[in-house]
Amino acid sequence: MQPLVVPGNLESLQAIRDYVMAAAAEAGLDRRKTNRLRLAVDEITTNSIVHGYDEAGLEGDLRVEAQLDDQRLTILIEDRGAAYDATQHRIPSFEELTAPLDSREIGGLGIFLTLKGMDDFRYERVGNRNRNIFIMNRGTE
Amino acid sequence: MDIHIREEGGVTVIKLSGDLDGKTSGEAQEQILPLVHPEGRLLLDMSQLNYMSSAGLRTMLLLYRKVSGSGGSIVLAGLADEIRDTMSATGFLHYFITTDTLEDGLAELNAATDNAAPGSAAAPGSAG
Repeated sequence: MQPLVVPGNLESLQAIRDYVMAAAAEAGLDRRKTNRLRLAVDEITTNSIVHGYDEAGLEGDLRVEAQLDDQRLTILIEDRGAAYDATQHRIPSFEELTAPLDSREIGGLGIFLTLKGMDDFRYERVGNRNRNIFIMNRGTE
Repeated sequence: MDIHIREEGGVTVIKLSGDLDGKTSGEAQEQILPLVHPEGRLLLDMSQLNYMSSAGLRTMLLLYRKVSGSGGSIVLAGLADEIRDTMSATGFLHYFITTDTLEDGLAELNAATDNAAPGSAAAPGSAG
């Protein structure tokens, strides 16, 4: 698919989700996998915008590209914000994920959902760019 | 994101339409949290909510805490499968009463008020 380039702000989240949904439809992903992919991309791009750009005092774009082959759909997302590797983030434990809501820490759920939901997720730092790579195998589970 | 609020038989019905994400959740919080009153009853109509991210989960967490802290009760009606998955994976679903339809949600809130001791929140997992 043609890459999508959008400004690195929260207004762009909807356009990115729409692009991912179109790619998922083209790949024939089922409803559950489509939602997991949409959620993973949305969580990581939200982090890139809020932490990588806004809080770091930086501005820039997000570049989103879907690549399709026989086996899988790959979504590549690049930004020029502060370096951030989601795969190194601490994931909430089972105890934390089942604790009563009154005693919950809210942090880490987005990255948990990303890592849990994708068939494969990778991070690369290339020059001054973050590259997040989301991979979903095609077909139903 | 569209939020529509109405009163029905002493229940505050909040209808969420669209996507609850990192952009819209702040606004949703500002509109919804002030609707929580002591021993109040809230029904969240989520039948037109297409999407919820962890930012939306944060909104749900704040809402839950405010409701339980004020001795009120809350029911979620009409969750899409996708949102149910997200809430289930993060251990949120277990702590909310959910119903398939708005009517069932209203009935649940009325039953909870009839049966529960004054000031106690309805027990989770008793419906849906």
